[in-house]
Amino acid sequence: MARLNDDAQWIILMGFLVSFSLFFLAIVINQSTVVGQTIAESVVEFPKNDIRDISHVIKEHAVSNGVITDKVHRDILNLSIQRKGAVINYTLTHDTNYHSLITYNNGVTTYSENWTSD
Amino acid sequence: MAVRKFSLAEDGVSESIGFILIFTIVIAGIGLVTLYGYPMLLQQQTGANERIMEKNMIVLQNDVKSLAYKTVPYKESSLKVEGGSLTVYNTLSTPPVATFSVTDCVGGNYVDPFPSGDLRYSSLSAGAEISLQNGAVVTRRLNEPGSVMLAEPRWFYDAPTNTVVLNLIGFNSTDIMSRAGIGTVQIAMGDTDYKTYPITGDLCIKYDSNPDYSDAWENYFRNSLKMTGTGPEYRFPLDASKPATLVIKKFDVTIKSL
Repeated sequence: MARLNDDAQWIILMGFLVSFSLFFLAIVINQSTVVGQTIAESVVEFPKNDIRDISHVIKEHAVSNGVITDKVHRDILNLSIQRKGAVINYTLTHDTNYHSLITYNNGVTTYSENWTSD
Repeated sequence: MAVRKFSLAEDGVSESIGFILIFTIVIAGIGLVTLYGYPMLLQQQTGANERIMEKNMIVLQNDVKSLAYKTVPYKESSLKVEGGSLTVYNTLSTPPVATFSVTDCVGGNYVDPFPSGDLRYSSLSAGAEISLQNGAVVTRRLNEPGSVMLAEPRWFYDAPTNTVVLNLIGFNSTDIMSRAGIGTVQIAMGDTDYKTYPITGDLCIKYDSNPDYSDAWENYFRNSLKMTGTGPEYRFPLDASKPATLVIKKFDVTIKSL
């Protein structure tokens, strides 16, 4: 009698495996178009050096006599907005110590710093 | 392993009817794939093209950001434009693509109408448009009203100093350029301009655009910047108790090639 030869069933099974794996691969690749902006925005754009520069320049001028002259004050504000695109503001007070309160805002990052000399 | 021990009755088995049955199933299968499967695949493809282009536009927006806010002189990005074309409309194109005016709400202008121009992707089959204008990425469907902002420009209000900073970015090019397929977008920084105005009264922003992206900008003005008004003029909520300042920074970005 005739025998049914089913030795090649693995070909069909492999076909199923390959097609399912392709399907899942397609889903994974599809997700990659979504990733992009947000990670770069939050990590790379933190303006660490800008804030340090401004904080440094304000403290350097403040410690001499506790205040900053109007001209230098305007220069600091103007240079900050023109070169760095950031709006800054600061107040300086002086009792036995020097105090400075600096706020920094460039539209993405808002930062405020309260500093007291010892 | 099926081993026949005895012969079955096969009187009703017909070779031709079997053939017809199998043939019908095959034809029906092919027909279904052609009628439903293939259009679905095409639709998926245009959808994927659009999404890739949205991502590309955000890459270009980041390039423009680097130029404008980080004083990088030159940037280039290679990208693949599929299923449509990428075109630059410069500040001189008529009618102007997108125009921004900054006024004191009673007729005086802080900034004359500023045409920003745009970098625009038009999809051939999907009828969608994505535009990079004035540092923002906006998109719309041609056959439906409304538009959406995908990435916002960097305009901001600083409450402690009562300062409004508006960045106006205009695209310049030698002429209208277009690109489909793989290409490199070369962008260079041109002139920059910076002005500070003390504000005594109110501050209004007027937006006007030729392909209509007013819904996207209205959402941005009203929800992100908390402005009031229903267009085309929006009023900025300034703190009336303190002196207010308006900072306008203009950037001239040159598209060298697409």
